[in-house]
Amino acid sequence: MHIPDGFLNNGLAGGLLAGALGMLAFSFSKVLSALTVFSGKLTGNSGNVSFSGSFPGLSSDAGKYFAKLAIIAIWVFASQTFNITVASATSVHLIGGVFAAVLAGPFAGFLIISSVLIVQSAFFADGGFLALGANIFNMAFIGSFLSYYVYKAVLKKNYYIAVAAACFFSVLTAALFCLFELGISGSVSFAQAFKDMMSLHFLFAVVETAITLFLLKLFKLLEI
Amino acid sequence: MNKKTIGFAAVPVLITLFASLFASSHPDALERVAINFGFDEKAKETSSLFTDYAFPFVSGGFLSAFLAGIAGLILLYILYQAAGFAVKCFVK
Repeated sequence: MHIPDGFLNNGLAGGLLAGALGMLAFSFSKVLSALTVFSGKLTGNSGNVSFSGSFPGLSSDAGKYFAKLAIIAIWVFASQTFNITVASATSVHLIGGVFAAVLAGPFAGFLIISSVLIVQSAFFADGGFLALGANIFNMAFIGSFLSYYVYKAVLKKNYYIAVAAACFFSVLTAALFCLFELGISGSVSFAQAFKDMMSLHFLFAVVETAITLFLLKLFKLLEI
Repeated sequence: MNKKTIGFAAVPVLITLFASLFASSHPDALERVAINFGFDEKAKETSSLFTDYAFPFVSGGFLSAFLAGIAGLILLYILYQAAGFAVKCFVK
């Protein structure tokens, strides 16, 4: 659901871009402070307990930690090139927000999906430059950051249900906000397009759940 | 093959290979809505180095898409290596 330039009006796109930049800086600083505290160079080891929850796979070696984030980002990018036909002449591809959030936590997950979106926008003309803020808001903030908390809340019950709930939340909420943004910009009437948008993205959510579960299983099997 | 090679290269390259061979070329869900409601014309055509996942100077769908996908993986790898290096300096 990469929004190209031209669908959104400039005010909305610019505002979301500014918000996305702020959230990028915030997430990056969170990851940096977690790394600093975890490696015991700032305040000793007292902070480890509180950090380990939101930063799975955190390592005291910054290079190693970023290498792990790189693998997740590369997997997401590769999976996003794989379009699968779902309905008549319509295709979807993985967003990967839940995949990144489950493996790296909400802050690093947000950074991973954003980095993939930035590379796609800058080098592949997939998603507009000005619309990058809207894409980061829809797919990285809703799709990864917020859906991590859905995953976390349901995880106490069952892992599979938690991943499925997070995937459905991430795709359907992202689609809803995408339609909101298009509606505000006057590209399409929200009420008219609602049924088409949500029914297509319901199928999308089913595909997202299946691929996310498969990729998570593969990632854990390889013990990266 | 060690875990690092599998994670960095084997799995993503395989996915990219399958994607370049079998990926659907139909419009995606958002584009479908745009076409159905007639606002797909509003999209501004932007161009970039690998526009539409095609490698420059290579014609032919499969190879072009495969090379563009690999280029994307390498770009992300460089980005994270650079970030990791910068953070390593910062944390020390």
